[in-house]
Amino acid sequence: MEFDVQVKMAVYGHFATTGQRPSIADVASRTGSDEQTVTAAFARLRAQRVLLLEADDISIRMAPPFSGVPTQHRVEAGGRQYFGNCAWDALGVLAALHEPGTVHSRCEQSGEPLRLAVGLEGPEPSDWLFHCLVPAAKWWADLVFT
Amino acid sequence: MLFFRSEDRVRDWCAVHGYPMRPLVRIGQLWTLATTWYGTRLQENSRRPKPDEMRGIFAGIGLSGDFWDPRVDTFG
Repeated sequence: MEFDVQVKMAVYGHFATTGQRPSIADVASRTGSDEQTVTAAFARLRAQRVLLLEADDISIRMAPPFSGVPTQHRVEAGGRQYFGNCAWDALGVLAALHEPGTVHSRCEQSGEPLRLAVGLEGPEPSDWLFHCLVPAAKWWADLVFT
Repeated sequence: MLFFRSEDRVRDWCAVHGYPMRPLVRIGQLWTLATTWYGTRLQENSRRPKPDEMRGIFAGIGLSGDFWDPRVDTFG
């Protein structure tokens, strides 16, 4: 397996099993490498739009659908807690894990809480809506805003 | 990319912020997008859909037009 793929798998494996972002040291340990080598791999994965990093170039802000920081889109599955980067990614966390779970979020206008149960075949019937303000061509121009 | 309780709440939110109202997506459609984008994300060979594939995925669940086309950059 190529090293960058090993790093990607280590990052996603950590998110999936802990719900939290791994540190550079965590990834170095999982890949049997060193922090400098992993930092270089992070930069390549960012260029490939696999990861979005914080300004320090080593902290993972997003490994879609997982968020490295708490958001309003919280997901419970398998006794763990995750955060999605957006409404789409909240469902994406469960799609990636292939586990049933519950999405907790809110109506952005009214603040009404959303509690959406999601089985392996998909969400329970719901008349809530998803709205995406940014057109597809510009999603990566400012992914945090998107 | 946000959840809203109803179309009226989306309209209110857009009006308050001066944003244009975009096409609305139902939860079932969103699940299809989630599984298509992320269903293999924990696998070694996973990759993001390419622009042509994205257009096809969106069209397949009834989301068509330039807004959903990653190659069309004409929106403000």
